[in-house]
Amino acid sequence: MDQLSTTFAALADPTRRAILARLAMGERSVTELAEPFDMSMPAVSKHLRVLERAGLIVRGREAQWRPCRIQPKPLKEVAEWTETYRHIWEQRFDRLESYLQELQTKEKTHGHRARRK
Amino acid sequence: MVIARVANSETFKVTTPSDCEIRITRLFDAPRHLVFEAMTKPEHVRRWWGILDDGHSVPVCEIDFRPGGKWRFVGRTPEGDIPAFYGEFREIVPPERIVQTECFEPYPDAPSVVTTVFMEENGKTRITVTSVYVSKDVRDMVLKTGMEKGAALSYDRLEDVARELAERVA
Repeated sequence: MDQLSTTFAALADPTRRAILARLAMGERSVTELAEPFDMSMPAVSKHLRVLERAGLIVRGREAQWRPCRIQPKPLKEVAEWTETYRHIWEQRFDRLESYLQELQTKEKTHGHRARRK
Repeated sequence: MVIARVANSETFKVTTPSDCEIRITRLFDAPRHLVFEAMTKPEHVRRWWGILDDGHSVPVCEIDFRPGGKWRFVGRTPEGDIPAFYGEFREIVPPERIVQTECFEPYPDAPSVVTTVFMEENGKTRITVTSVYVSKDVRDMVLKTGMEKGAALSYDRLEDVARELAERVA
């Protein structure tokens, strides 16, 4: 799987997104991350492993509590992808509509002149 | 140039007929042959396709309009060039139907097959663009990119988190 697919697979889960959202505010221990969820520590650890493999978080080596930190690079790639697509189709079609009006006005003017000749 | 209050804006719709598809429809106040032409000839495509604002242009707009022919568009913005969209035409039935493949340069492994249908509707033209993606993941990603405003998809938080982080990194 390419990086973007791995990132999206990791993000395709509400618990993992909630974990990331919390980590966006600063580093947290596994215990702290588990708090809001009604799930076992091993279940939370499993989610963290998926995020870690996708490069979305890193685990600290410090002592026992190994704080989790978010890694912005894969998310930045996602953001860049989304920014690129942003606006595109809706605005494109609005622009095409305006252009079609322009074309038709030209066609009419042109046709009018031809008839007057 | 700020585009606001354009005719038929409200007819723009995005739906997801299946897990791997996105369908866009829109009505245009123009006869079908003209809409077809405006979407398939470079001199026309250059005037609307990438022109989302001032300083935008389409420096590369190649269309070899025949089955098996290739197409390639590059949009230029004041911030720089957007990676190319490119693909190949598979089926052309003027002025009714076009089937083509579409790739976005950074993701060559995720091509989509795009079918565009042009229908006459009381002197107007409704176009329906159906894109079939390689997987639901890719489809959802494209969808989440803002093609459909306020789409209540599973990636709700992603964009917020991503933007926040992107800003922090910048």
